[in-house]
Amino acid sequence: MATTGTASTFRPSIPASSRLTHLRSPPSKVPNFTPPPPSRSRSFSVSCTIAKDPTFLMAEAEEKTKAAGSDPTLWKRPDSFGRFGKFGGKYVPETLMHALSELETAFYSLATDDDFQRELAGILKDYVGRESPLYFAERLTEHYRGENGQGPLIYLKREDLNHTGAHKINNAVAQALLAKRLGKKRIIAETGAGQHGVATATVCARFGLECIIYMGAQDMERQALNVFRMRLLGAEVRGVHSGTATLKDATSEAIRDWVTNVETTHYILGSVAGPHPYPMMVRDFHAVIGKETRRQAMEKWGGKPDVLVACVGGGSNAMGLFHEFVDDAEVRMIGVEAAGFGLDSGKHAATLTKGDVGVLHGAMSYLLQDDDGQIIEPHSISAGLDYPGVGPEHSFLKDMGRAEYYSVTDEEALEAFKRVSRLEGIIPALETSHALAHLEKLCPTLPDGARVVLNFSGRGDKDVQTAIKYLEV
Amino acid sequence: MSSTKIQVRGQPLPMVLTRNHRMINSVVCGVQNKRHHYVSNVLRTIDPPLGSVPTRTDDSQFLRGDGNGRFGRFGGKFVPETLISPLKYLEDEFNFVLSDHEFQEELTTALRDYVGRETPLYFAGRLTEHYKNISQTTGGGPEIYLKREDLSHCGSHKINNALAQAMIARRLGCSRVVAATGAGQHGVATAAACAKLSLECTVFMGSTDIEKQSSNVLSMKLLGAQVKSVEGTFKDASSEAIRNWVGNLETTYYLSGTVVGPHPSPLMVREFQSVIGKETRRQANQLWGGKPDVLVACIGSGSNALGLFHEFVGDEDVRLVGVEAAGLGLDSGKHSATLAVGDVGVYHGSMSYLLQDDQGQILEPHSVGVGLEYPGVGPEISFLKETGRAEFYTATDQEAIQACMLLSRLEGIIPALEASHALAFLDKLVPTLRDGTKVVVNCSGRGDKDLDILIQRGMPSSLR
Repeated sequence: MATTGTASTFRPSIPASSRLTHLRSPPSKVPNFTPPPPSRSRSFSVSCTIAKDPTFLMAEAEEKTKAAGSDPTLWKRPDSFGRFGKFGGKYVPETLMHALSELETAFYSLATDDDFQRELAGILKDYVGRESPLYFAERLTEHYRGENGQGPLIYLKREDLNHTGAHKINNAVAQALLAKRLGKKRIIAETGAGQHGVATATVCARFGLECIIYMGAQDMERQALNVFRMRLLGAEVRGVHSGTATLKDATSEAIRDWVTNVETTHYILGSVAGPHPYPMMVRDFHAVIGKETRRQAMEKWGGKPDVLVACVGGGSNAMGLFHEFVDDAEVRMIGVEAAGFGLDSGKHAATLTKGDVGVLHGAMSYLLQDDDGQIIEPHSISAGLDYPGVGPEHSFLKDMGRAEYYSVTDEEALEAFKRVSRLEGIIPALETSHALAHLEKLCPTLPDGARVVLNFSGRGDKDVQTAIKYLEV
Repeated sequence: MSSTKIQVRGQPLPMVLTRNHRMINSVVCGVQNKRHHYVSNVLRTIDPPLGSVPTRTDDSQFLRGDGNGRFGRFGGKFVPETLISPLKYLEDEFNFVLSDHEFQEELTTALRDYVGRETPLYFAGRLTEHYKNISQTTGGGPEIYLKREDLSHCGSHKINNALAQAMIARRLGCSRVVAATGAGQHGVATAAACAKLSLECTVFMGSTDIEKQSSNVLSMKLLGAQVKSVEGTFKDASSEAIRNWVGNLETTYYLSGTVVGPHPSPLMVREFQSVIGKETRRQANQLWGGKPDVLVACIGSGSNALGLFHEFVGDEDVRLVGVEAAGLGLDSGKHSATLAVGDVGVYHGSMSYLLQDDQGQILEPHSVGVGLEYPGVGPEISFLKETGRAEFYTATDQEAIQACMLLSRLEGIIPALEASHALAFLDKLVPTLRDGTKVVVNCSGRGDKDLDILIQRGMPSSLR
């Protein structure tokens, strides 16, 4: 049985921690939203099964995955328990089980609800500014052209052009719409650097929802501008002082709030992490990135991309691009994590490269933990990659060998930041700069004319002050 | 520091060998230019085209100027001898690219894939509701739409023009581009376009502006541009940039950011910004099967306003409303309300309204929206005012800040303080409109660059 990270506030079935004594009994009221007769098993049977015999379940899952073999079309992503192979799942207290299955049911029903899809598409188009262009980066391509005149063709999927400047809004908008359908009037979220907080505050303003953002006190100091932005948008920003006063502590606090207020509140998780159905939901809400890319690639060159590259923090922008192409075996997928000061320095966020399997924030996945299962404080110059875990689906894709994961240091990311600003006149977010930095190693290995699509997940205006300190400009 | 108010006596120029385009002798004149009499009396009617999209009616062709730099009595080319040739060269090249298929295709692709056009025409439901609740009308109230230029690459409409002109610079064989910027948006857009097209870029910026918009300054540097500080504000930076251009004519292209300056600048910039209005016509037709009723835009020099208005100048049933910066109030002497209280004169190469004292010295403008801080205004805007085709009002610093906070809270869009002036005017405009009136406001830029200013001003207690 894999080791379980003790830093998680969730343990399967036993809420023994003193921090959970304020839990009320499960809500007896039935929420207003009545889902259609579910075709899947009811919530209580799911929680019982996981609590009773996890070893059996996981072995079964691994067997099934082995049987499916290397054919991605046969993989269950996720299965009915929210597992991607052995990763994922729902490691949460009892009080949240109902809310999670309510969410899951709502999500499945809205997937086929034409009104919802039409409304969402309209908002993505007129409010967020989709579809985002697939931009041929001429000077970047030239930069990677070898002396023989050969080299790959670099395309950038411009998520930086979205409203609020990153891909985060795709998910925030959809979840806010979902919350409205569920009759919830209160939204909570956690944020590290503030990007997800700003995206959440943005959509709450747009939809007239009450918004509370949990942010580590240390992060609040470092990101005063984003704190102001969230307040300008009408959100309440609550500082979290426990632990190291950073993202993981803010996440725990947000989860605590949700446990307490689950009837009135929806928790907008910012990435493809957390308990099922979040990894699936957030991925599916970002999947518009990959869907558009397929169509645009067909229009532009009558084919598919050869390689997809994206930075990985929690993994949402990467899954948004990859998901559409997982079944296309000839499309290579590359995720790039943050190596911070270097993989050997102990100050990085390269979860998939250096982490071990454990449970954090409700899901089983790779995470950065020490021998006692305590979470190691990650480091990256880019706050958005500064997460000690990673989405379970990425852990799965890594183990299955479907996607490859590398890492890039702070320094390499800063160089790429400067390089792409100078060559294309687009300032990338420091997170995105990690993916861009990896092109230095990747491109020389690619055949002539290989088409690389890089997810330009965010713009770098927010990072200009930070970068200037390090770069000689 | 006075402006370059140089009157050049009329005299014919030697023939300048240019490209294969037609060669025109330009005669530099003072205020009385005979040409404009010739064209302004011509009214052309064009048959309505086939197809369902209503296009512009050209009944009032003269409202668009004579195509030679004159808009009524405004405009012209008040420049030193040395600049006449380069300006002619530029004009010829501009006329060429207008109809050059290759250029247009490259520009369209870049606007789509690089800039992110077309920008949405977004129905601001909660803002509409807000005004409906205030007026307590029983009907639906007017409908407010935002043209989302804030979603463009670099965060404002400035890139439409910067990209197109940078492409022209490259065609002309220039290796270097100079520009002047106020809020920094034009500087950033120019730096970005130059990076993309491998052109060297130098941006002149007023020292007070550099302090107020430091994040834009850093962005320009990161994009590879050189930023040169000039004592004063935008008007001083403009003068310095022009001086720099004049001193380096062989290699350098002067990229004007707005619809001021000697011909062909006002015309060129307006043409490149007019994509805003063209898209709006198409989108309005898609959304509600008609045209907008009222167009509202902020006015600094007038580029975003003309970009939206120009398409509809010939549609008499479309109201054009420009909103200038009243700063600390029109009586305070600290504002940029050129059309409201200015006089006609020549500044930076063209005749237009400007803020000047009794001795013809330029007054220092002020606005919390740094991009509106210009003591002049585009000649075409002056003409639209004089002919009564467009209406002009003002909004104070305080009103603009309030409007910025309102949109942030209601729609989750933080507008630039410049655009906030247009939004502020809705408070006065909307109660006068009938139910169902379609109002399109040009949300010309996003407000991330203004957060420091807003923090300094502090949030009023009414909004948390």
